[in-house]
Amino acid sequence: MNQQSDILNYREPRRRRAGWLRALRLWVALSTVSLAVPLTATSQTKHTSAKPAGITAPQKGYGSPSAPITMEVFSDYQCPSCRSLFENTLRPMIDDYVAAGKVYLVHRDFPLPAHKYGYEAARWANAAGGLGRDQFAKVEAALYDNQPSWSNDGNIEKFVEAALSAADLKRVQKLMEGCQASPSASLPGAQVRNVATADQGCAFDVFIEQDRALGQRIPVQATPTYVFSYKGQRLPPGSGLVSWPILKQFFDSLLGH
Amino acid sequence: MTQRASSKVVRILLVVGRLALGAVFLYAAYAKMKPLLAGMPWSVTSIKTSLAMFGLQVDSYELLPASLVRAVAHLLPPFELFLGLWLLSGVALRLSSTVTALLIGGFLGVVVRTYMVGLKIHCGCFGGSEPVGPWEIIRDSLFVLLALAVMLGAFLTRRAHRTEAPAEGQPSPSRAD
Repeated sequence: MNQQSDILNYREPRRRRAGWLRALRLWVALSTVSLAVPLTATSQTKHTSAKPAGITAPQKGYGSPSAPITMEVFSDYQCPSCRSLFENTLRPMIDDYVAAGKVYLVHRDFPLPAHKYGYEAARWANAAGGLGRDQFAKVEAALYDNQPSWSNDGNIEKFVEAALSAADLKRVQKLMEGCQASPSASLPGAQVRNVATADQGCAFDVFIEQDRALGQRIPVQATPTYVFSYKGQRLPPGSGLVSWPILKQFFDSLLGH
Repeated sequence: MTQRASSKVVRILLVVGRLALGAVFLYAAYAKMKPLLAGMPWSVTSIKTSLAMFGLQVDSYELLPASLVRAVAHLLPPFELFLGLWLLSGVALRLSSTVTALLIGGFLGVVVRTYMVGLKIHCGCFGGSEPVGPWEIIRDSLFVLLALAVMLGAFLTRRAHRTEAPAEGQPSPSRAD
């Protein structure tokens, strides 16, 4: 009897340990599966599954991708703060640290619903990016330089026309076929909404939505939001305006490691 | 409750209050100065980089010129560290609690101003990416109330010590702080 009870007593803790081990294995398995599933865009985003045929992924980067620091800026072309950041901070940065190979700047589209023409502006920029980096840079600069003007009437094309050569403009216009938004005058009453949306089947929406999905994972809560990566490691995001001297000091400090 | 018992309760609350505030400031300093990159050890260089990153957040408030942004970014976190230790020590509590109340009051003012003008930026208060919004205003308001309570308690406790007459043959009461 004693021997039997001894055996039972010995088996009881073993059964409990086995139960815990099974639970632990199950938890590890579930965690591994959930971590292995890649973060996907939300169900509200469209056109993210595949690149449309015949469309080159727009090149929206400045500098060398092998630079030690990468700065991704999530912005809306109709956002005034984004314009300030571009004009006062990013421009000198491009001329200085991007040109020197210290920073790789990437534009990410994050058009906000409150900005009527932001999405359309992003389409034009992406279409220019489809031709190459230089064309993208020219159109981006034109969009920001003339933001107060086209933000009022939505006439973006004339500034794109002024920024590009005749040949490039033709190519961009061809790429933009099917992307033109309906004029705001056709909207009923005084309704104001984002005229260009992802529903209109523009080929470049997939790239805009990819950027937006990436931003939602950050999460981007306002524009401009910027994310730095240093030697492959992502740093916490920042948002709002930052002056070039302060940003430069940060870069110098980071590069000093 | 007798006067002695209520005085004891006030002292206990005072201790709890200053320890809580001290812990908040120590954490704030740590969050701003900790190494930015995973695997990066603590060093003067890593702290300088973290403070430079904090400088970006200070700059985003659009309040100060670049020179002052640098000064604030490099001086505020060490000062928070000093203030946290000062509060924990309990030394010169009237002064430390007054400085704390003024500092947190200043933070609250800046946060409220930022929210009212519609700037959508990160607070930078504890090194993370929490946006400036109503919750930050509520949180900072609670910190201000706590700091004011500690300050008031420190002054009242001091006054109570001054007005207490020593019993016959007993030594004078010691200083409150």
